[in-house]
Amino acid sequence: MASRLPIARAARQFASSAARRPSAPVEFSCRRWQAAPALQSRLFSVSAAVREKQYTEDHEWIEKSADGKTYTLGISEYAAHALGDVVYIELPQIDLEVSESDAIGAVESVKSASDINTPVSGTVTEVNKVLEEKPAQINKDPEGEGWIAKIAVTEEPTGKLMTEEEYKAFTED
Amino acid sequence: MIAPSRGIVKLQQASHKLLASGGRRSGHRGIASLAQTICDPIQSYVSDSNDPYLNLSIEHYLLQKSPPDSTILFLYTNRPCIVIGRNQNPWLEVNLGILKAGSSTTAKEDGQPVIGNVDLVRRRSGGGTVFHDEGNVNWSVICPPTDFTRDKHAEMVVRALRKLGIDRARVNERHDIVLDQGNRNGRSDPQDTHRTPYTVDDGAGPRPLKVSGSAYKLTRNRALHHGTCLLRSPNLQAIPQYLHSPAKPYLKARGVESVSSPIANIGLSNQAFQKQVQDEFARMHSGVPAAIAVDESLLSTPEISKGYDELRALDWTYSQTPQFTLFSHPETDEDPHAPVHDHLDTSPVPWLHPKIPINFKVQHGAILDVGSSKMSNQELEVLSTLKDQRIQELEKLTDELEGEEDDNSKAVRPIANWLGAMLPIVHV
Repeated sequence: MASRLPIARAARQFASSAARRPSAPVEFSCRRWQAAPALQSRLFSVSAAVREKQYTEDHEWIEKSADGKTYTLGISEYAAHALGDVVYIELPQIDLEVSESDAIGAVESVKSASDINTPVSGTVTEVNKVLEEKPAQINKDPEGEGWIAKIAVTEEPTGKLMTEEEYKAFTED
Repeated sequence: MIAPSRGIVKLQQASHKLLASGGRRSGHRGIASLAQTICDPIQSYVSDSNDPYLNLSIEHYLLQKSPPDSTILFLYTNRPCIVIGRNQNPWLEVNLGILKAGSSTTAKEDGQPVIGNVDLVRRRSGGGTVFHDEGNVNWSVICPPTDFTRDKHAEMVVRALRKLGIDRARVNERHDIVLDQGNRNGRSDPQDTHRTPYTVDDGAGPRPLKVSGSAYKLTRNRALHHGTCLLRSPNLQAIPQYLHSPAKPYLKARGVESVSSPIANIGLSNQAFQKQVQDEFARMHSGVPAAIAVDESLLSTPEISKGYDELRALDWTYSQTPQFTLFSHPETDEDPHAPVHDHLDTSPVPWLHPKIPINFKVQHGAILDVGSSKMSNQELEVLSTLKDQRIQELEKLTDELEGEEDDNSKAVRPIANWLGAMLPIVHV
């Protein structure tokens, strides 16, 4: 039965940890909670020299290019598993200007259109065309061949980013 | 996305129309703004409008603008329309020819009434194509992602149905609601919304009939689950005809294809169902207020008006179709004289033999590429004039070509006519 499928369980966990993220700078119309101070977490400051994957609480990863000008973005193994079989990926347009936390595309799986949000601001320079034809690639290798887009950064990300270890702890939480 | 600003809608005095749950006070207009309620932790709305574009725009506004920790129930019923999923192909899913013909749908032998005008809508959530009419109530729950599971609110609706005596209702493995059709074969836990006393193993008895389909939209802060609920649709027998595209054998599409299921009416009134769903929602959450009626006066809210125009734009409905290829001949061509390619059979162009296959790659609503393995480069050159042709403007092209007498126009004309017949556009 559906509710007992591992995917449903995983989706629940996925969703629950996603919700623990501090309020995003998205426009809402309610002052009541908009006024609440956003927890700008800068605990994990990033050294530009380090080239390793960093993870968001939205279960996305980014990786800086060697020249430091571009970030590659994708969804984490954890997210890919939680989403279930991906049947379509709506990729952003090349040259699209994006701001941190914008929805830049969406992934469809199990009747759900799930937004992909960018943790970095900049311009989309490349998208993974392979995913258009083979969306299942994102389930097979979400943190490698299943990357989604490359973004030329205009400013360094300000949101909370985690190392692989920290992210692992976060998802096990 | 095209979103021309609508004319200024007369702002009505915001009058909260509080309703006894499930009830509707006639003669009152819905509220003109959601500003008073959208910050509430628990909200309940019911739409007095049957405009699918408006109802989906209100729903989207609630998804985008409500606080992340709030939970919302929204009930609405649409006039006859076909609603496709975010990443679906309308030409593949829907018989657009009969939509275009409007009221000229052929009455079936059993005297099934004609449906008349049926709107085509692309929604923002995933999933497959569904038919809505006045005998179908849509239920929609927006909640924090923490509370979200794909079954939670389908289970809520099943509990509501069972309280109304529908003891065959359960949630199936596709997160839809079905009515079991087997004989009563024992007891089941009344609390188990996934099994009824009539549930039989797959293939061991009559197939359950689907009465409600689910779809989801997940954003960073919010989860939306909406579903249909077929109560007393007068159009059940006509629905398959609408959801069967004659172009299907000629299309190879990316994106999401619908899974068709046998359907049934539950046989309840819309009011009884709405009230019971509202009551069940109230059982799950404390402090659920009386449902607030909403209607077209909400078009005075700029975001709702913008969303409304977006959903009605041809660019959204058609050009958002994932890339697909249209073939002049179906891959398994059992009937070479199938009526859909009559245009090719009667082609006045000497070199265009009816058996020569052509394929058209369509992306973002325009022809990206025309190809054929059996044509000379010269012939392909003629066809390449169709490159970048927008599907929305095919009718314009065929009109233009009508009067032209040069060889190229005469060569392209039958193809353009055929494309127009295969890829119709229904104007809102």
